[in-house]
Amino acid sequence: MSMAKLEAADVCMEYYQPRTGKRMLAVDRFCLSVDEGEFVSILGPSGCGKSTFIKIVDGLISATAGELRLDGKKITGPGRDRSMVFQDSSLFPWFTVIRNVAYGLECQGLSGKEAAKQSQPFIDLVGLTGFEHHYPYELSGGMQQRVNLARALAVNPQLLLMDEPFAALDAQTREVMQHELLNIWQQTRKMVLFITHQIDEAIYLSDRVIVMSARPGRLMADIKIDIPRPRHLWVKRDPKFLEYTDQIWHLIESQVKRTMAADQVVASRD
Amino acid sequence: MTAAAATQSESKLLDVRYAGLPPLLRWYLINERGILGALSFVGFFLFWEIGSAAGWIDAYFFSSPARIFNAGVTEVQNPRLWSDLQISGTELVVGYVAAAAIGVPLGILVGWYRKLNYFVDPWLNFMNALPRVAMMPLIVLWVGIGIWSKIVVVFLGVFFTVVINSLYGVRTVDRRLLDVSSSFKASQWRVFTTVVLPGSVPFILAGLRLGIGRGLIGVLVGELYSSNAGIGYMITVSSQTLQTSRLLFGVLLLTLMGVIGVELVRLLEKRVERWRPKVGAR
Amino acid sequence: MAAASTGEGELLDVRLAGVAPWRRWYAQHERLTLGVLGFVSVLAFWELTVQVGWMKRVFLSSPTAIYTAFLNEARAGTLWTNISVSLLEFLLGFFIAAVVGVTIGLIGGWFRRANYILDPWLSALYATPDIALVPLIILVLGIDLQAKVFVVFLTSLFSVAVNTLIGVQSIDIRMLEVARSFGASHLRVFRTVILPGTVPFMLSGLRLASGRALVGVVLAELLAANAGLGFMINLAGSTLNTARMMVGVLLLGFFGVLLGEGLRRVEQHFEVWRPKRQD
Ligand SMILES: Nc1ncnc2c1ncn2[C@@H]1O[C@H](COP(=O)(O)OP(=O)(O)OP(=O)(O)O)[C@@H](O)[C@H]1O
Ligand SMILES: [Mg+2]
Repeated sequence: MSMAKLEAADVCMEYYQPRTGKRMLAVDRFCLSVDEGEFVSILGPSGCGKSTFIKIVDGLISATAGELRLDGKKITGPGRDRSMVFQDSSLFPWFTVIRNVAYGLECQGLSGKEAAKQSQPFIDLVGLTGFEHHYPYELSGGMQQRVNLARALAVNPQLLLMDEPFAALDAQTREVMQHELLNIWQQTRKMVLFITHQIDEAIYLSDRVIVMSARPGRLMADIKIDIPRPRHLWVKRDPKFLEYTDQIWHLIESQVKRTMAADQVVASRD
Repeated sequence: MTAAAATQSESKLLDVRYAGLPPLLRWYLINERGILGALSFVGFFLFWEIGSAAGWIDAYFFSSPARIFNAGVTEVQNPRLWSDLQISGTELVVGYVAAAAIGVPLGILVGWYRKLNYFVDPWLNFMNALPRVAMMPLIVLWVGIGIWSKIVVVFLGVFFTVVINSLYGVRTVDRRLLDVSSSFKASQWRVFTTVVLPGSVPFILAGLRLGIGRGLIGVLVGELYSSNAGIGYMITVSSQTLQTSRLLFGVLLLTLMGVIGVELVRLLEKRVERWRPKVGAR
Repeated sequence: MAAASTGEGELLDVRLAGVAPWRRWYAQHERLTLGVLGFVSVLAFWELTVQVGWMKRVFLSSPTAIYTAFLNEARAGTLWTNISVSLLEFLLGFFIAAVVGVTIGLIGGWFRRANYILDPWLSALYATPDIALVPLIILVLGIDLQAKVFVVFLTSLFSVAVNTLIGVQSIDIRMLEVARSFGASHLRVFRTVILPGTVPFMLSGLRLASGRALVGVVLAELLAANAGLGFMINLAGSTLNTARMMVGVLLLGFFGVLLGEGLRRVEQHFEVWRPKRQD
């Protein structure tokens, strides 16, 4: 068996309240390993530290404890081997589609022309041929997220990080985008770390689904999804799929209830 | 917003019941806004003119539209007016351009470095809140009553507005976009040119637009306080000699100057902001 | 989701908890510390340049000399007269402008036909540099209180009226529909929808107006007056008494800060009432 490509060991992120000195653990000793070419999703109640964790993996913030390695190299900051598909409205509104997609390449020192040339295949890949010179506001939400995906893919990362990339889309567009993402992934076979709130989305896309506990975020379950690929949208009605859904829903339900109870305590204290 | 844009580009649709009305009434209802607006202007001017002719309004103090028009016609032929305009214009342009040329880069710099921002914040706010007219006697003391005193007061009026707006623009750049840049390991310079600058341009331009009004007030204040030329001087002299018509004509000219300046900045704003959705503000 | 952290103030990276106490204190109060430092160091530098002789005293005076002049003025009692005269002129004019401006704005925003009539006027007059009329106002109304009150009124009126009008027009149409569908009376719609939704705009208008109005009073006092801070500055200027001039200038600055900051606070308090922009 090959060594895991991404290895996170006991990653913690802790904040503290300066006036009261109270500490707040956002991510607690989180361990995770992702193999070459694997698609892994993380599910968990709101506020459990999913975004925090993925930002740590990207190198945007540094963990207060623990260690992360990608391909054996320690992660200390953002790097070319990783790229992130952010949530909605993270496109540069002042750049056209092509310049948005070329942005990462330009950051790597390519000339504008060269970067644009290398971006074109990725625009084609996400099905936006012909929209190169449109501004983001001229695109629908789904199209904007395709540009976002193309921008991340264009730098040819080993690891693709996606933080609720489809959260702002309507249900139908979302399904279409999930299907397209799988197609693209099938062609590129990159490691993907995907964050979502939608259980069916996680199961449909992933090889493994990680469930995080309510804050402080800990690893609660690591579930292997044994559904053969290529998957079509109708596997979502497969009995096996529904079994997975049930299993994960029960795990999360308890955590969500815990979060809500904690929020109520906070609210009644105010 | 796409739906709003679509309806805006097509002409307005009316309730079908309008179709059955007599043509004149329909025409009125369709153009009511313009008609009432025009009527109110015409009515006001008529009232003013007739009132001053009939003597209910003291024309010495309040002039009348015809008198202002006549004063305008006489003034336009007076070379003195053109030199006054030139002087006021020079004061405005020199003070404004200097303030913009120094203020925009400085504002960006201060906005970019958080600590520098904290350091200068109290003085910036103080100077911005200080009515700079109050410094007029001081400025005259520094540079005399010549053209320079007006340039300085214009500069002071425009400068802080421009600095504060540019600073604010840099400070409010979208965090997420900064995250995107650092995720791609963009260099500081790239972050600056691709995120900070485009993101703050709307604010910088808004500052420049506000600056026009501030600059105009600076010219006026400076010239009203002490001068021997310029539109403000013309206004002062007219008030002392009770030439109200000439005075109001001067005010009209100043308004025109301000409107032209603001429109020029607007043009610039339109050119720069191609990436913004083209939907009306309201 | 970030709300959890904002409730109790900003949360810091836990690694800061380990550093030396003074560094931690600084990290928490950086803004204040640097601000005070900036303020004090400029004053110190100013004093120094004058003391060493790099800058002539008559130019800007010096902080200590200004302080002494302030004490003298305060003791002589003239300072309080001047302050109270300016303050009275300002507050009276501002109050009247607020009442009249809000009324005009509400009428012009709510009644369609009134809007057609008022809107072009307000826009035109808003763009006019109204302080150009100060000489005429002095001529008509004299050099006493009433002239200044009118100047303040005129310079603040349009910005209050225009902003109020825009406020009424920016009311969220859905709120109106809610009120109507519950059968609310006109008065109730006005009290529960129009008025609260317009408050943030009125306050913006007042804040913008306050700056213009301050310029108006000071100019009027500089040009013709026998009391007030502008008068005091002018008098000191004609006798080349820079320290006394600076007392007036700085007092006006403090008043400007207080006024602007106060109105901004109130505005911020009501900010949540501002209708969301509909896309
Ligand atoms: N910079 C910060 N300072 C203080 N607390 C923070 C910071 N960033 C995140 N937190 C806290 O850490 C916790 C985890 O936040 P995070 O955004 O990672 O949650 P999440 O799982 O992504 O939630 P959601 O599903 O709602 O996006 C939250 O309680 C949040 O308030
Ligand atoms: Mg999140």
